[in-house]
Amino acid sequence: MVSVDLLDLVMLIELGLLGVAVILFFAHGLWLQLTEKRIGRYTKTARESLARLVTSGVINVEEMRGLETMPQQVQVIVFLEMSRNLSGTGKERLRFIAEKIGVVDRAKNLCQNRRWQKRLRGARILSQLDVPDPLVLTLLVDPHPAVRAQAAEWAAAQPSVPVVSAMLLLLADPATQARFAVQNALLRMGSVVAGPLRDFLKDRSGKAAEAGLRVAESIADPSFGPAAMKHSTVEDLGIRVAAARLLGAIADAPAAARLIEMLRDSESRVRAAAAQSLGRMQHWQAASLLAERLRDKTWRVRREAGLALRAIGAPGALFLRKAIKGDDRFAADMAQQVLDLPEAAAG
Amino acid sequence: MNALLSPWISQFLVKGQVAVLLYFLAVNGWYLILLVSSLLELRRHMLLIADESRHLLLSSTLSPTISILAPAYNEEATIETSLRALLALQYPNLEVIVISDGSKDRTVQVLVEKFDLVPVKTIYEQRIKTKPVRALYRSSSYPSLVVVDKENGGKADALNVGLSFARGDLVCAMDADTLIEADGLQRMVRPFLYATDVVATGGTIRVVNGSEVKFGRVTKTAVPSNLLAGVQVVEYLRAFLFGRLGWNRLGGNIIISGAFGLFQRDAVVDAGGYLHDTVGEDMELVLRLKRLSYEHGRPGKIAFVPDPVAWTEVPESTKVLGRQRDRWHRGLADVLWRHRGMMLNPRYGITGLFVYPYYAFVELLAPVIEAVGLLSLFLGLAFGVVDWYFAALFYLTAYGLGTALTAFTLILEDLSFHRYETFRDRLLLFWWALIENLGYRQLTVYWRLRGLWKFVRGRKDWGVMERKGFRPVTAT
Repeated sequence: MVSVDLLDLVMLIELGLLGVAVILFFAHGLWLQLTEKRIGRYTKTARESLARLVTSGVINVEEMRGLETMPQQVQVIVFLEMSRNLSGTGKERLRFIAEKIGVVDRAKNLCQNRRWQKRLRGARILSQLDVPDPLVLTLLVDPHPAVRAQAAEWAAAQPSVPVVSAMLLLLADPATQARFAVQNALLRMGSVVAGPLRDFLKDRSGKAAEAGLRVAESIADPSFGPAAMKHSTVEDLGIRVAAARLLGAIADAPAAARLIEMLRDSESRVRAAAAQSLGRMQHWQAASLLAERLRDKTWRVRREAGLALRAIGAPGALFLRKAIKGDDRFAADMAQQVLDLPEAAAG
Repeated sequence: MNALLSPWISQFLVKGQVAVLLYFLAVNGWYLILLVSSLLELRRHMLLIADESRHLLLSSTLSPTISILAPAYNEEATIETSLRALLALQYPNLEVIVISDGSKDRTVQVLVEKFDLVPVKTIYEQRIKTKPVRALYRSSSYPSLVVVDKENGGKADALNVGLSFARGDLVCAMDADTLIEADGLQRMVRPFLYATDVVATGGTIRVVNGSEVKFGRVTKTAVPSNLLAGVQVVEYLRAFLFGRLGWNRLGGNIIISGAFGLFQRDAVVDAGGYLHDTVGEDMELVLRLKRLSYEHGRPGKIAFVPDPVAWTEVPESTKVLGRQRDRWHRGLADVLWRHRGMMLNPRYGITGLFVYPYYAFVELLAPVIEAVGLLSLFLGLAFGVVDWYFAALFYLTAYGLGTALTAFTLILEDLSFHRYETFRDRLLLFWWALIENLGYRQLTVYWRLRGLWKFVRGRKDWGVMERKGFRPVTAT
């Protein structure tokens, strides 16, 4: 049996909790309103001041001092906000001002903090401002994947062979987040990646090779040809698919010849990727072989073969029309669907 | 009156109340743990996303392709706006598949006219058995749009058809009238990029009633002044912010809302897609994915991400709300019954030993125990076994901790996403949290009991959802 006294006690505790919650809820609301108002006011002034400094390109000591005296939170907000819309000289000026008023130094200190959250924040500030400090490079081997990923993002704006080499090692990173960020960053670095990536692909296998091939596909440098040929014959299915796509991006005669061979691969995903690549290359010489693939036992291959024929243009369309009248119902249906597709959806 | 009752009945009434009170305290105590867990999780999440720049993801050709599956049934009035909002979502590799589930109105014609659709030969790779597809359309203006017209078979069947057409690595299951925030998919896809063992992620669902909607986007948020909608705002905040987020940290998430969830397409297809003969198809799928992950050693992590938001309209009439809650509870009962083999089974790890029993004893049986408590209190009062003071104290004690926890959820919302900004909203939120327990909660007990009863009797109908429509705004 519960006594009234016990209920009173429980009730009292609950009331206390509720009271604390109410006070916190409304006090926090009030604090938020006041802070937002204050920060909003500062932010407006800081934004205008920073915009004037960046656009004029002249150091106005008073405005610099004004920015320096702003709360650190406001400084970070306006610098990051503006960095997203600037590049070239504008960004250089922004970085210069950030260095002068101490934003960069504080971010560097954060990068060396014991806590990963702080290191992440530091790396985010430095990468959004494109600060070329080798300190961030050391974060590529940080124990936390989010920090490694952020460092990779920073590296995208620092395209040099040592940075690329350090990044390529991360293509084998066990953390998906870091691997994805590295791939992304390498894509954005452009042609400087080609040489080191070509060497990297020579002797790599597994996830690293697959990730590297995907990056190579976007760069599409002809020097990747030998590596693509080599990887197109390995046992790993994912690598063969990635190699087929890379061959399609390189789009030279040896690549086309190898892709035609790959149309007969034992794995449907590889056959589909090969068909897709031949379509991408608009390799009309492969039209009859692609038309054969319209009879493939796998839907995905039939579909990609049909789309490839459509992409090839007139010769492909001829084969598609012939397939409609053919004796294979599956090939005929696929050909009809592909021909029905509006131009926008056929790509 | 007391003399009329035999001593054992009066003992039973009093002891029943004690048991119910202890149950309430235990459940709310567990909620307190969830609240702390969600606070820690939220802090970690906020630190992880602070100053994050997602534009890299937006411009990357490496981002996984997402196929949005939007089932539509008789949506001619809203389909154009909803679809335009979907096509404008900020995500690089996006495919939108609208599945008209045998609509009897002009849904398909509206789509054909407004989105330049042309019919194409209706063949597809049937990955899951479904009702027949009547027609397939592609757009001359929107390359990523696919419209499927099929025979009516229910939402699960429509989603399964969508799975057959989806070309994306990930599929986003949603309701056609859900309003996903522009950057919702960018935020929701993160767990798939961060880990390889994630099979599904869910985002937060918020109540759109009372807010302003323009061109399929929420432009101004506000807490509704309507009682039923207002109380549901508080309920949704509690369910998502401390329920799912709290379970996230403990590894026990088994619910992804049917209105906004992202799944690995191959995992869902391999699992057989959505079940047709249940009204809780979204929870059933997630629990099945979880179960299969234990049985076959496959990946099976379910992640809840708090910052992607989808807005949904909630019922403002007791009749419609009652039908919805009754259906939800029937769904829960059905799902738990189908997967009863997981109960306290160590083979299923934390899900079998902890999460499943929680859903069975706390979520499923809560209305039964609450009803017993209320009934015994009422009988105790009627027969003079308890006095009014005790009854009032009992009632307040039973619901008091829940109210305090709800108030703490409001603080969580305030500390993190802070969507409701005005003082009026703050007052209203707190007001709805306070009065939730005075009548509304008891009504939900009744609806959930009705759901349980219908489940026992084998009813599997959905009922009709009547929508009032989003609050119009003056065109500018």
